[in-house]
Amino acid sequence: MTADPLPAYGEPRRLLSDVHALARRVRLDQRLTWVTLLVLAVVTYLGIWFDVHFMSVHCAADHVCRFSRQGVLYYWPPALLLAYAAIAYSYIRVARARGLGARVMPYAITGAVTTLLFTAAWVAERIYLAGRALADNPQPSPPWVLFIDRLIGPWGMIGIALLVLARLERNFALFAFTAGYLAVVLVPINFGWVGNGGNTRMYWVPGQVISATVLLLGAAGFAMARRRRR
Amino acid sequence: MTGAFDPEAAHPITGLDEVVHQRVRLGVLAITHEARRVEFGYLRTQLDLTAGNLSKHLSVLEAAALIEIEKGYEGRRGRTWITLTPAGTASLADEIARLKQLIARVETSDIPEDR
Repeated sequence: MTADPLPAYGEPRRLLSDVHALARRVRLDQRLTWVTLLVLAVVTYLGIWFDVHFMSVHCAADHVCRFSRQGVLYYWPPALLLAYAAIAYSYIRVARARGLGARVMPYAITGAVTTLLFTAAWVAERIYLAGRALADNPQPSPPWVLFIDRLIGPWGMIGIALLVLARLERNFALFAFTAGYLAVVLVPINFGWVGNGGNTRMYWVPGQVISATVLLLGAAGFAMARRRRR
Repeated sequence: MTGAFDPEAAHPITGLDEVVHQRVRLGVLAITHEARRVEFGYLRTQLDLTAGNLSKHLSVLEAAALIEIEKGYEGRRGRTWITLTPAGTASLADEIARLKQLIARVETSDIPEDR
């Protein structure tokens, strides 16, 4: 850059191009995508243990089981809130060290709101199902119910919040990654581990392993891309 | 007469603000707008300027009330942070709009660009 004034006709395009290039460089320097995905991957892996360990399963003699995923309800709300706080703190700290402000707060707020939304939905579902007989809840549930259930779960809400982050950072790569992640989360994957009795605890494990692994691979990919750019 | 920018009424170059329409100062505004808050050292690196040169440009922008400069310490290290004022944000948006208008005029005009 020079200090020359620029009244010439040929210059507006160059000036505008410089403005866009500088803005883009700032956005790149503000990003900490790989840390976000790494934190969310770790939280998701830990959540698997809580889900399996604290799930209450009661099977009748006719192999009809009533289960309650208490681990999800007790682990995920505080875990996600802590994760978003940690991500916001990391963004602010790293941006500050680089000499920049951070634009992470709307993401952290969205994350907190989606966490509350998922918690409220799960509590409402528990209250709704608690007083009903198994026969009143026919299985399998309609596909749209399963879709909403997967979307409103913590894994779907992570994706919704990531879309907000991609928009904030104008990060097309993160947007594309999140679209793929949401597709994986919203498609039921169980490797045929559908079972009764003891296997009920493992029913949701494959999907969660896949979600966490996708996040972890994303973290690795964004970290490598950042290192290459430097 | 209003303050709105009408491309048909006047040539966009007549409304250019010399404080903003300067490569370095426009760069400072663009970076600060995108960063929300930027440190002196980051600006100096990105704009490839000496400290003295950048300080002069920042003084011009501060005198025009387009930026605010905040000096402080982090540990024993002095740091200077720059933020954009609402007037600075408006000036940057106006400058970018005028630049786009200028480009559009050049592209639609019969006048050769390198005249």
